[in-house]
Amino acid sequence: MPNVRVTINGVEAAVPANMTVLEAAQAAGIEIPTLCDHPAIEPIGACRICLVEIEKQRTLQPACTFPVFEGMVAHTHSEKAVEARRFILDLLFSERNHFCMFCQMSESCTLQDLAYEYELDHWKFHRPMPKFSVDASREYFVMDHNRCILCRRCIRICDELVGNGTLGLKNRGADSMVTADMDVPFGESSCISCGSCLQVCPTGALADRASAYMGATAEIDRIKTRCMACPVGCGTELIVRENRVIRVEGDWDAEPNHGLLCEIGRFVPLHEHRDRVREPMVRSNGEWNAVEMDEALAMVNEKLREAGDDVATIVSGFVTVEEGTLLAQSPGAKYLMHPIASEQSSATQADLDVADLFVVVNTDLTDDFQVAGMFIKRGVRQRGARLLLISDAAEGDAPEGDAADGMSEWAMRRLGTAEANEAVAIAGGAQMPVFVAGPEGAKLATELAGQVANAKALIFTPGGNSRGLYEAGFQQAFEGQDAAVYHVVAGEISRIAPELLEQLKQAGTVIVTTSYRQPWDEVADLILPMPTTFEKAGTTVNADGMVCEVVAGVETRAIPFNEMFNSLAALAQ
Amino acid sequence: MAKITLSTDWLDVCSGCHMSLLDMDELLIEILEHVQLLSSPITDLKHPPESGVDVGILTGAVSNDHQEEVARRMRDRCGILISMGDCAVFGGICTMRNFFDTEEVLSYAYTETDSTAPEQEVPRSPEIAKLYPTVKSVRDIVKVDYHLPGCPPPAHVIAYVLTELVAGREPKLTEDLLTYD
Repeated sequence: MPNVRVTINGVEAAVPANMTVLEAAQAAGIEIPTLCDHPAIEPIGACRICLVEIEKQRTLQPACTFPVFEGMVAHTHSEKAVEARRFILDLLFSERNHFCMFCQMSESCTLQDLAYEYELDHWKFHRPMPKFSVDASREYFVMDHNRCILCRRCIRICDELVGNGTLGLKNRGADSMVTADMDVPFGESSCISCGSCLQVCPTGALADRASAYMGATAEIDRIKTRCMACPVGCGTELIVRENRVIRVEGDWDAEPNHGLLCEIGRFVPLHEHRDRVREPMVRSNGEWNAVEMDEALAMVNEKLREAGDDVATIVSGFVTVEEGTLLAQSPGAKYLMHPIASEQSSATQADLDVADLFVVVNTDLTDDFQVAGMFIKRGVRQRGARLLLISDAAEGDAPEGDAADGMSEWAMRRLGTAEANEAVAIAGGAQMPVFVAGPEGAKLATELAGQVANAKALIFTPGGNSRGLYEAGFQQAFEGQDAAVYHVVAGEISRIAPELLEQLKQAGTVIVTTSYRQPWDEVADLILPMPTTFEKAGTTVNADGMVCEVVAGVETRAIPFNEMFNSLAALAQ
Repeated sequence: MAKITLSTDWLDVCSGCHMSLLDMDELLIEILEHVQLLSSPITDLKHPPESGVDVGILTGAVSNDHQEEVARRMRDRCGILISMGDCAVFGGICTMRNFFDTEEVLSYAYTETDSTAPEQEVPRSPEIAKLYPTVKSVRDIVKVDYHLPGCPPPAHVIAYVLTELVAGREPKLTEDLLTYD
């Protein structure tokens, strides 16, 4: 891209010709206020707050959409531009309910920040006070249309990055409203509760139920860490106040998610209703009693000594590499709680953003590995990539509820496993086909990919750190093998295969190291406490083999896992 | 130097703005060396004198005909009118009722909440001020010279505005002096 010479506020710069005025100004270190613009999504120039004066242009121009040109001379804070911004703010404030004193986003609001910056001490215009509805039909966050400024950030991120396309706009002019699907309540819509819209809302229109009024921008800390709920391995930011995580946001700078999260990563940990395990507990005569750590470890040691090598250690994907490495030293067999695909990935998740054909085999990416599903959905919606779904059940008239259902709206075709060869034929004509599967479809996906030149396969093994734990020595999936003593190291896992619980129920001695009591109190004899991902430091390895840092956002009273394990090891000496 | 004269009054309000005025603590004594407070809701004299005052301060929103009268009287009798607090400046928290029908609000408040006595009815005496369909800011009713938002405005901001006026300067709310809640 050739450079053009521009002058912004007297600063001369050579910038690529495809830049907007806003980008050029930012590159030159000049700040222009924005409101509807967001770095992660395409600019549309809706709010006009970024208006700047450009010489030889008849009117003020929005910096976020206006392209630079050779010899451009712009003034971002001329009297005319600043006056226009005040006028625009006045209009924005006059339109709906923008009273800060009863807004949960006060002190964390871009609109309010701008009003302070431009010193609005009153509103000039008459306020029509329209009465819009508040949509509280979603579990985790609320939409108050009265606080909406129609910047459309929510609509755009849902469409451009999440690829879900749930949101749209209805009506015209001042009556415009953000709406879901064909104007249904958000809770009844195709919304997948990923909360990406919530993360980009610049006002109090979208408000998180868990963190409303809990901490303003100046009162919170942001800690970058990793989600360990699945192998996508999204970068997260913990929003922490007074040693409490009040909210989780996607980390814009992190691979592979770049700000996106799914319901499981963003909301589920904040809406945890299970009982926290704070101290060791022992079951005697069907009753659970708290015991001292020393006593509990002595009991564990006794059980392990009796069992000798007849021990099975079963770890969930919430166990870090460091914890796994310690556990790998324990006697007996080592198992991963999750099914393991024996096939290897030849693709990374970044490939999903360049692939022109996705073939998803026996896996529902709207249920598992959801953010990877978003990469595919947006590829279909934004880049015209095609999606084929292959599932066991899709042959002939596909029944409801099979693995292919979740993404069927994005798919060009659904195929049964018997028709899988058709996918090979279609993939043969594609530039860059990627076959995607979890353990159930891994074998077929890898086979099919092997038949197509250029094709890559992306294989997910459930469990956030499964890949790291595999390398640490947990190379076998637990499938009901017999042992005298089972030690389950669970972390905060909540999605547990019923078969596993059934098998443990039949087993002899079951020790569970877990953050939460349920459902383990149904099967365990002894429960040991464990910090959650929010509370521990370590590393995890995602599906791409990327080693990611887990950073503790809060301090916990729970004894660190390594200390507990080392005390146990010392007893065994 | 003659003292400047000051009257304050309140409209639809929680009285927090006047609390903030008192929160000036010992600064109040210093300011009262230059300012003579002629009337306020927290002094014996409630109404600004007919002879007028230099500065009038109104807190609270205009929700009914009585409050409009109070606002107009203050405007008529003061030289400089300051609208103080979010309710006076923007309408504030009182505007929450603007999102509902007035009758709905009345019947909810007087007959439906958990704390209303049984048989309670909406009071309809002609002596009671009539609620307007929507709550308004002071600026919607009379001309305002200075706006001093905040819920409530911090004491030091009130002190700043009065000190500037005493010194014959224009108060200008910037940065930390400007707050909406």
